[in-house]
Amino acid sequence: MTTPVLIPETEVEESVDYARPWKVLVWDDPINLMSYVAFVFQKLFGYSKEKAHDLMMEVHVKGKAVVASGNKEKAEFDVYRLHEHGLWATMEQDE
Amino acid sequence: MKRFRCEAGAVIVDLPSEEQAMLKKVLSDLRDLLISDSDNTLRRLKPPAHLDNAEAESSYRELVDDDLLRGRLEEIELVESTLDSAELDEVGVAAWMHSLNNLRLVLGEQLSLAGVDLAHHELPDSASAALYEWIGWLLEQLITAANEYHDL
Repeated sequence: MTTPVLIPETEVEESVDYARPWKVLVWDDPINLMSYVAFVFQKLFGYSKEKAHDLMMEVHVKGKAVVASGNKEKAEFDVYRLHEHGLWATMEQDE
Repeated sequence: MKRFRCEAGAVIVDLPSEEQAMLKKVLSDLRDLLISDSDNTLRRLKPPAHLDNAEAESSYRELVDDDLLRGRLEEIELVESTLDSAELDEVGVAAWMHSLNNLRLVLGEQLSLAGVDLAHHELPDSASAALYEWIGWLLEQLITAANEYHDL
């Protein structure tokens, strides 16, 4: 990543690498209803019924699924909205 | 009898009075629990956003915890005001759905901590398990009605 020239060096060391996108993951849990999880995916991300159902099944079968991605702010907002809905969501930066 | 149904562009709540009274009680318990912020069953309502970055996690908590709490308390209030048959709009549906789910998460966490294996649906014959199942049953009906509502 090209470092913007205007940022002082001390801040560069602490800055996050914004070029790498963040992934929003939802983890399987034994409490949330499958129909509820699919409903939330549709509502929050505007996914079709089919896509929301497939993602929900991926969470359920594989234990987790990437449900959205983007820059840090978007990922944080998505995680917050998922937490508002009681889903177990985390975010991590792409390798 | 259905407790929630989609009709004329709204989701109708139709609960027998004893079920209204039961919900009123458990919602009030949930409010106390949320405000006290001391029970470890609440951790299910505040999952971590960052698994391996304590610093990022603590700034996330600082950023969202007050908003999460405020939103949940407002939604409980909205549900309490619509217990006795109401026509819910999108905001009302969300408040009901979140509140029922939050109740379920807390009850489920209590059962899990008591050693119940929720993943295999082996629920004990207890009052809290019955409550957990009943709230799940209500939530399923609300989701069905909400799906119809959104399809319109």
